[in-house]
Amino acid sequence: MSVLGRRIWRAYRKSRLQFLAVALVVMIGVSTYISMNTAYYNLEHSRDVFYREHDFADYYFHVVRAPYQVIKRVQALPGVDMVTGRVQMDLPIIRENGERGTARLTGYHLPMDKEVNRIQLLSGRMFDEDPSGGRIEVLTDPQFAAANRLNPGDSLVVAAQGREVTLAVTGTAGGPEFIYPMKDAASLMPEPENFGIVMAPLNQVQQVLGYSGQINQVLIRVTPGYDPEEVAERVEKILEPYGNLAGYPRKDQLSHAMLNAELEGLQKSASSLPAVFLVLAAIIQYVMLGRMIKTQRREIGILKALGFDRRSIVLHYAAYAMVITVVGAILGIILGIALSSVISKTYAMFFNLPQEIGGINVKAIFFGLLSSLAAGAAAGLGASRGILALNPAESMRSEPPRVSGRIWLERWSRLWKRLDNYWRMSFRTVWRNGWRSFFAMIGVMFAAGMLIIAFFADDSMDHMLNRHFTLEKSYDYLVRFTEPVKEYEILNISRLDGVIKAEPLLEVPVRVSFGGRKEDDVLLGMNPGTTLKTVFNVDGELLAIPEDGVLLGEITAGKLGVKVGDQVTIETRMQSGVSQEASLKVLGINRQMIGSESFVSLKQANKVLRESRIVTAVMLKVDPGKAAGIEKELNRMTGVSSIQSRQRELAGFEKQMGYMIYFVVIMVSFAAILGFAIVYNSSIIGFGERQRELALLKMMGFSDREMGGLLLRETLLQSIPGVLLGLPFGRMMSQWYVAAISTEAFTFPVVVYPRTYIISAIIGVLFVLAAHWFASRGIRHIEPSELLKNND
Amino acid sequence: MENLMDLPAMESGQTLMRLENVSRHFVMGEVIVEALRDVTLEIKAGEILAILGPSGSGKSTLLNIVGGMDRPTTGRVIYAGEDLTRASDERLGRFRRHEVGFVFQFYNLIPDLTAWENVEIAAGLVRSPSSVARVLEEVGLADRADHFPSQLSGGEQQRVSIARAMVKNPRLLLCDEPTGALDHRTGSMVLSLLARVSRSLGSTVVIVTHNTVIGEMADRVIRMRSGTIAEIITNPDPLPPERISW
Repeated sequence: MSVLGRRIWRAYRKSRLQFLAVALVVMIGVSTYISMNTAYYNLEHSRDVFYREHDFADYYFHVVRAPYQVIKRVQALPGVDMVTGRVQMDLPIIRENGERGTARLTGYHLPMDKEVNRIQLLSGRMFDEDPSGGRIEVLTDPQFAAANRLNPGDSLVVAAQGREVTLAVTGTAGGPEFIYPMKDAASLMPEPENFGIVMAPLNQVQQVLGYSGQINQVLIRVTPGYDPEEVAERVEKILEPYGNLAGYPRKDQLSHAMLNAELEGLQKSASSLPAVFLVLAAIIQYVMLGRMIKTQRREIGILKALGFDRRSIVLHYAAYAMVITVVGAILGIILGIALSSVISKTYAMFFNLPQEIGGINVKAIFFGLLSSLAAGAAAGLGASRGILALNPAESMRSEPPRVSGRIWLERWSRLWKRLDNYWRMSFRTVWRNGWRSFFAMIGVMFAAGMLIIAFFADDSMDHMLNRHFTLEKSYDYLVRFTEPVKEYEILNISRLDGVIKAEPLLEVPVRVSFGGRKEDDVLLGMNPGTTLKTVFNVDGELLAIPEDGVLLGEITAGKLGVKVGDQVTIETRMQSGVSQEASLKVLGINRQMIGSESFVSLKQANKVLRESRIVTAVMLKVDPGKAAGIEKELNRMTGVSSIQSRQRELAGFEKQMGYMIYFVVIMVSFAAILGFAIVYNSSIIGFGERQRELALLKMMGFSDREMGGLLLRETLLQSIPGVLLGLPFGRMMSQWYVAAISTEAFTFPVVVYPRTYIISAIIGVLFVLAAHWFASRGIRHIEPSELLKNND
Repeated sequence: MENLMDLPAMESGQTLMRLENVSRHFVMGEVIVEALRDVTLEIKAGEILAILGPSGSGKSTLLNIVGGMDRPTTGRVIYAGEDLTRASDERLGRFRRHEVGFVFQFYNLIPDLTAWENVEIAAGLVRSPSSVARVLEEVGLADRADHFPSQLSGGEQQRVSIARAMVKNPRLLLCDEPTGALDHRTGSMVLSLLARVSRSLGSTVVIVTHNTVIGEMADRVIRMRSGTIAEIITNPDPLPPERISW
C-alpha cells in the first residue's frame, strides 16, 4: 500500500462511525434506485411480453346480443388486424355456506391461437370443448382459486338463466386482461374471495347462457398505422343494430389502467427518491471532506513540500470520498437486490403475471452504481479543489483564528438578553458555520419530510375509508337483483326479521355526452331523503338528491368538461331493453372517496328508462344481532344476484392496507438513517473543531454533562428547525407525489393526521438525540492538560 | 462532598497545598518517561511562586498536578487539608471549578463570546463570584467589554483571561507562561496585574515560565531540572513587576 493509501486507511479507522453513516446513506440511495427500477423494468417487461404474446385487445365493444357471424364483417374492415367474438357475463356463485360471489364467465373460441386476449394455463390442464359426461370444464384466475381453495377436480356452482349450473374446475389460467382481476371501477381493489374470472369454451358458455350462435363482446387488434378511434367508429357502426352498450380502448380497460397507474407511480418514485439520498450523501461527503482538508492544511503543505504533485493529492482526498461511495454502493446493490425481491413478491400478490417478476436487473444495478459514483466523485473533487490553491508555505502555517461577531439575532436585544452565555455561544457558532449549519438543517428537513411521506399514504387511505364507509354509505348490505324489479317487490326483503330500514336503488349504466365528448358512467337513482347513502360535493358539503336533474360524478364531469348548470345527454345501456336517451341538467358535481357515480332521483331514473317504479337493488340497515340470519335468507332468494356487505368490504380494504406496513417500516428506517448520518456528521465536525474550547471548559471545571449540554444546544439549533420545517415540507412532497401519480380517473386526497406530525417530530428528535449522543461520546476523553501542550 | 468551597479558610503564609514525594511516570510505548521524580513542595497561601526551568524539566507536569488535571503515580497531594491524590475526575473537576483560576500563554478565550461573556461564563461556575463589571474594570477593559476576542490585542486578551480567572475568587491562580506571547511592555502590565490580584484577593499565584527574570517578582522561586526540584529560593524582597525587565 502506498503511503497515501495508508493515510486514507488510518483516516477511515479513526472515523469509523462517520464513514459508516455516510456509506449507509449512499446504500439507501443505491438500494432504492435498484429495487424500484428493477421492479419497474421487470414489471413493465413482463407486462409487455404478456400483452404481445397473447395479443391483448386494442379495443373492446360490448353489445346486448349479436350473431357470431358479425365478426366476419368486423374482420373485413380496414385496420382490423384480429377480431374475437365472445360471451362474457357476471353470474352469481352459489356456495354451500350461502355466501354470494360473482363469477365472470368468459367464453373462448377454440382453437385459440388466432384469437385476441388468449389465455395462458398456469396450473392444472386446459378445459376440453366436449368433455365426456356432458360436463362443463372451466379454468379460474389463480387468486380466486387460492381464496376459495379450488383445486382441479373441484366444482363451482353458478346461477344462470334461473337454474344452477355446475362447473368442473380443471386448473388456473391468466390473460393479459386479467392481470389485476377487479370487478369494476367502483371496487378499486380485488376481492378474490368474492369475485373470480371463470374461463370456459365459447360453445359451452353460449349454451349455458342461452347465447347459442351469439356473442355479447367483440375484441379487436388494430393494424399498426391505423387510427384506433377511426377503426372503432367503423366497428361501432356495424354493431349498432345489436345494442352497442359500450366501446372503449385498451387504456380504459380496468386491469390495464390499474397496472399502468402502478407503473407510473413506481417510475416517478424510482426517479426521485433515490436522487434525494444520493444528493444528500454527496453533500455530507462534501462537508466532511472540506472540513478534513481544512484541518489537514499543514499535512497537505508537507505533502506538497515533499514533492507530491497536486493531482495525486487531490486524487488522494477524492479517493477518500470514493471509497465511502463504493462501500455504500456495494451494500446498496446487495440491499437493492433483496428489496427488489420483496417488492416483486408484493406485486406478484396483486398482479397475475405468468413470468417471474423478481430477478436481478443489470441495467438498474449499472445505473444505480454509476449515479452513486458520480455523486461521490463530484463531492470528492468539489471538496478537494481548494487544495490546488494552497501553496506549501502558506498551508503549513496554521489556520488563522476564528473570527466571530454579532449575529442578526442580537438586534432583538430583549430576546438576546434573556439568553444565557451557552445559548449565545451556540447561536453564534451555528451562525458562523453558515453553510454547514444550513446543509445540516436542510438534510434534517428531508429526513423529517420523509417520515411524513412514509406515513401519509396510510393516513390518506384511512381518511378515505373512514369517510366512504361511515359517511358516504351507512347501509349494512347492498342487495342487487338479477334483473330490474318493481319497487314494491322489495317489501319481501324489508319485511325480513331484523331489517331496520330498506331503501331502493336503481343502477343504470349510461353513456354521458357533452360537447361532442362521451363518457361511460353509472347513474344511481335513489329517493330524495335516502339515508343509507349520502352524496357530497367536492368541498365535502352534503348534496340533496334533486327531483329532476343530475348530480354528476366529479371524474365524468372532469373528463367531459361539464360545469354545474350544463345540460348533458344521457344514453342508457342496460343489458336488456332498448337504449333510451334523455337530456338532464347538471345540478351539482359529486365527489366520492372511492369509486365514481352520478346521482338522480329514483323517479328521474325511471323516467329516463321510460319505466315506472322499477329498482335494481336495495340497501339495508339491519339489527346486528340478526344480520347472519338475514344474509342466509337473502342468499336463498333466486332473484338476488349479489349481496355486498359494507363490513366485509371495509375489512377487505383494511387487509390490503396491512401491506403498507412494510413500506412504512422501510421508509422510516431510511429516514432515520439519513437524519442520523447528517446530524452525526455535523456534530462530529463541530466537536472536532472545538476540542480546544472543550478542553478549556473542562479545565475551568465544567462537568462532562455541562459540555455535552453546550454541544447539544448547537445540534438542536440546526436540527430542530430542520425537523419542524420537515413536517410541512413532507406534506408538500406528499402533495407533489400524489399530483404526479394522479390520473383523470384516479386520485386521492393528501391527508396527514395531527398524530402523524407528532409521531414524525418525535422520531425526528430521537434520531437527532441519538446522533448527538454518539458524536459527543468523546467528551469524557478530552484532556484539559492538552491545553498546556504548546510549550514545554 | 458537595463542593470544595467549604474547605477551611486560610491565613496568609499557611500551607495551602502540599506535594509529598510526588512522582509521575508516563508509559510511552515501551519506554517509561519519568516526568516528575520525588517532588516535595509546599505552596503557601497568598504567595507568588515562580516555577522556572527549561523545556522538559517537568514544570508542565507539575502544573498539571497542582491544577488538578492529573494525578501523581506515587506520592500524595494535599490541598487545604483534603487529600486529592486519588480524587475522582468529578472531584478534581469541582476542585478546578471552585479553587483554581487558569491563565494561559495563548489566552484561550472562547471566540464566540465577548470579553464580558467570557468572564461571565466563568462567574457562573461558582456560588459567589465577583462582579463581572468590577473585574473588567480592574483589568482596565471596562470599555472593551463588548468586543470579541478577535477584536482585541494580545495584551487585552490576556487581561480578559486574567479577569476570567479572577472573577471566581480562586485561592489558587495558575499561570502558564502568561507573558510568553506578549511584548515586553504588555507582559510587564500583565505581571503587575497578577501581583495586584495576589495582594488584593489574597490568592496564591503560581507562575510557570522559562523566563528566569520573572522570578524576581516572586516570593519564592522553584528551579526544576529533569523532573526534580533543583533548588527553592526564597526571595526576601521581591521586586515590583514594573521594575523588572527582560
